[in-house]
Amino acid sequence: MEALQLEQVVKQYGEKTAVNGISLKVEQGEIYGLLGANGAGKTTTMRMVLGLIYPDEGSILYNGKPYSAELQHLMGYLPEERGLYPKVKVSDQIIYLARLRGMSASEADKSLRYWLERFDVPEYYNKKIEELSKGNQQKMGFVAAVVHKPKILILDEAFSGLDPVNVELLKDTVREMRDSGTSILFSTHRMEHVEELCRNITILDRSNTVVQGDIREIKKGYPREQVALRTTGEVNGLAEIAGVTRVERLERGYLLSISEIGAAQRILQLAMAQGEVEHFEIKEPTLNQIFIRAVGESNE
Amino acid sequence: MNKMGSIINFTFKNKVRTKSFMITTLILVLLLSIGMNIPYLIKVFNGENGAKEATQIGIVAAQGFQPAELLMAYTPPAEAEDKVIFTAYPSAEDAALKQGLADEKIEGYLTFADKGSVGVPPVTYHSKDGEIDSELRTNLQAALQQVNTGLIVGDKLTESQVAAIFAPVSFDTEQLSATGGAGGTDQDEVKPVINYVVVYVLLMLFFMSVMMTGNMIAAEITSEKSSRIMEILITSASPLTQMFGKVIGIFLVGLLQIAIISASIALNLMLPHNSSILTDFNLDLGQLNAGILVYGFILYILGYFLYALMYAAVGSIVSRTEDLGQAVMPVMMVGFVSFYLPLFSISNPDTLLVKVASFVPFTSPLSLLLRIGVGHVAFWEIMVSLLILLVTTFIFGWLAAKIYRTGVLMYGKRPSIKEIRKAMKAYKI
Repeated sequence: MEALQLEQVVKQYGEKTAVNGISLKVEQGEIYGLLGANGAGKTTTMRMVLGLIYPDEGSILYNGKPYSAELQHLMGYLPEERGLYPKVKVSDQIIYLARLRGMSASEADKSLRYWLERFDVPEYYNKKIEELSKGNQQKMGFVAAVVHKPKILILDEAFSGLDPVNVELLKDTVREMRDSGTSILFSTHRMEHVEELCRNITILDRSNTVVQGDIREIKKGYPREQVALRTTGEVNGLAEIAGVTRVERLERGYLLSISEIGAAQRILQLAMAQGEVEHFEIKEPTLNQIFIRAVGESNE
Repeated sequence: MNKMGSIINFTFKNKVRTKSFMITTLILVLLLSIGMNIPYLIKVFNGENGAKEATQIGIVAAQGFQPAELLMAYTPPAEAEDKVIFTAYPSAEDAALKQGLADEKIEGYLTFADKGSVGVPPVTYHSKDGEIDSELRTNLQAALQQVNTGLIVGDKLTESQVAAIFAPVSFDTEQLSATGGAGGTDQDEVKPVINYVVVYVLLMLFFMSVMMTGNMIAAEITSEKSSRIMEILITSASPLTQMFGKVIGIFLVGLLQIAIISASIALNLMLPHNSSILTDFNLDLGQLNAGILVYGFILYILGYFLYALMYAAVGSIVSRTEDLGQAVMPVMMVGFVSFYLPLFSISNPDTLLVKVASFVPFTSPLSLLLRIGVGHVAFWEIMVSLLILLVTTFIFGWLAAKIYRTGVLMYGKRPSIKEIRKAMKAYKI
C-alpha cells in the first residue's frame, strides 16, 4: 500500500488556484521528487500533506487512511526557511521538538546525540543556533526533522545553501532513511539531485501537473536529441549530414544535436567510414532539459 | 497533556533564562528595596536615631514683651512629633544667638514688628538661607496662633477652654442605609489605611505583570511565526495545546516574578531597622482585609488569562516582530483604562463608574479588586462579576484559539478582519 497518496487535490486561495488537481503516490521507502519553478505550488502541496492546511477538493491518504492527529508523530518536516529558535540551545530545542512528536526525553536525547555524531558535530549539543553558520543551521534543521524517526519525511529545498561535501552527507543520510523504510517527499530546483535520488517525480508548473512518472519512462517519452562521438581521427562532413542541427567540437570527440533519430545512424556510418570509433552514444535527455521543455512549453 | 507539559516547561525555562527577565526582575527588586528603606535612610542621613531632637528657635524681644513670654510658655499638643524650644535673646546681635546660629544649633529666630494693637504683632522669621520648612512653619504658626488667642482672650477663659478651642473637631462620614439596622453596620466602618496601601501595591503589581507577560506572549508567537518554526510546531501539536501551553508557561513566569517581588517586600519589612516602618505610617497588618489577597489572586489569574489570550491572538496575526508594537496597541489601551480607572478612584471607590467597570470583563479584575479592598461591595456582586469574567475568558479562549489557528499560517501583510473571519471558518480548532 502507498505510504502517501494524493488524489485530485485542489487548493485555492481566494481567486487564485495554488494547486490544481495534483495526484501522486509515494511508496513506502521511496524518495519522491516534487519539482517546479518558484510559486508552482510545491510548498502548498507539502503543507497540505503535513495537515497544516486543508485541501479544498480531493483527498490525501496516509497508508490508506485520512489525516489524523496521530500522524503528527510519524511525520518529519524541514521547511524551506529553516525554522529553529535562534537563541535556544540545539539540544534544548531539538529534544523539545522530538517530545512534541511523541518521543520520550531520554530517547530524544539519544537520537540527537546519534545524529550529531553522524554529522560529526557533537560539540553543537550545547551551542545556540545563532552561533552556527547558515549551512550548519540547516543541518540542525534536518536533524530536527528526522530526530523522532519519522515514517513520512517532507524536505522542502533540503540541500539549498549547502556546500558539496555537506550535500553528499545529506544525500547519504536521505538514502539511509529511505532504506530503513521512510517515505520521503522531496522538493528542489536542482535536477541533478533528483536524478540521483528519486525514481518517480512530478513537475508542477503554475499549479498544474505538467510531467509525472518514472524518470526513465519520462526520458523515453522525450526525443533523444544528442549524440556523443569519439573517434581516433577527425571526422569531416558531420555538419552536412541530414538531420544534424549542430556540431560541437569537444576536447576529445564531438557532441552533435540531431532533429530525428535516423540522423544518429548516418553519423555512425560516416564516422566508421573515416576511421575507428572509440565511443558512440545516443544520449538520453537530462532532467534539466525535460524540465525546461515542460515548463517552457506550457509557458508559451 | 504530555505535550502541553513539554510546551509549558520549554516556554517557562526559556523565558526565565532570558537576560531581559532577569534584569527587569532585579531592577524591580532593587527599586522596591530602596523605596522601602528610604524612611530609614533619611533618618540615617539626618543623623537622628530614634526620637527627634527639638528644634531650637530664638526670639529677639525686649524683656517683658508679652507675646514672647507666652511663646516661651507654649506647650505643643502631646501628639506633635516635632518639638520646638524657644529661647529669648535681648537683640539680634547677641553673641550667644550668633554662636548658636553659626553652630547650627539654632535654626533661626523670630522678630516682632513694633506696632501692634491687639494680639501678636506681625512676626518675621530669620534664618541663614531665608527659608523655612513646611513642618516648622506649621508648628510656629500653631504656636503663634495660640499665643494670639491667649493675648486677646486674656484671663476670660480658662486654660482648658483655650485648649478646647484648638482641639480639632471630630469629623466622620456615614453612609445612609436604605434597609437600616443590620445591613448598614458593617459598611459604616472606615477601611484601615493598610487596605489602601495593599490595593495600591496590588494594582501596580498586577497591571505591570499582565502587561509585561502579555507582551512576552505576543512577541514569542510572532517570532515563532517569523522564524517559521511555527510550521514545525503546528504539525507537532495542536494549535490549542500550543497556545494554552504558552499562555500557562508565561503565567508561571509572571507568578514567579510576583513571588520574587512579594518575597523581597516581606524581607525588607523584616529587616530589623524597618520593624517600625509600618507603625510609623500608622499601618497595622492585623487590620488588613485578607479577602483582598484571596480575591486578588483569583482576579489576577482570570485577568491574566483574558489579557494573555488577547495578546496571543494579536501575536498570531502579525508576521513580523517590527509590526507587533502597533498591533498590540488596542489591547494595551484597554489595559491602561482598566488600570488608571481604579487607580484614580482609589480615594473614591464607590462611584457609579467604578461599579460599572467592576462588571465589565476587561476592567473588572482591577476595579473589583479596588471595591473589595477599599470600597463597599456585596458578596453577590463579587460572584456575578467573577462569573462574567470567567465566561468571557472562556469565550476568548475559544476565539483566540480560532484566530491563532488561522493567524499563524498567514504571512505577508496583516490580514483584514474579514479575511481572518473567512479563514477561521475553514479550520476546526
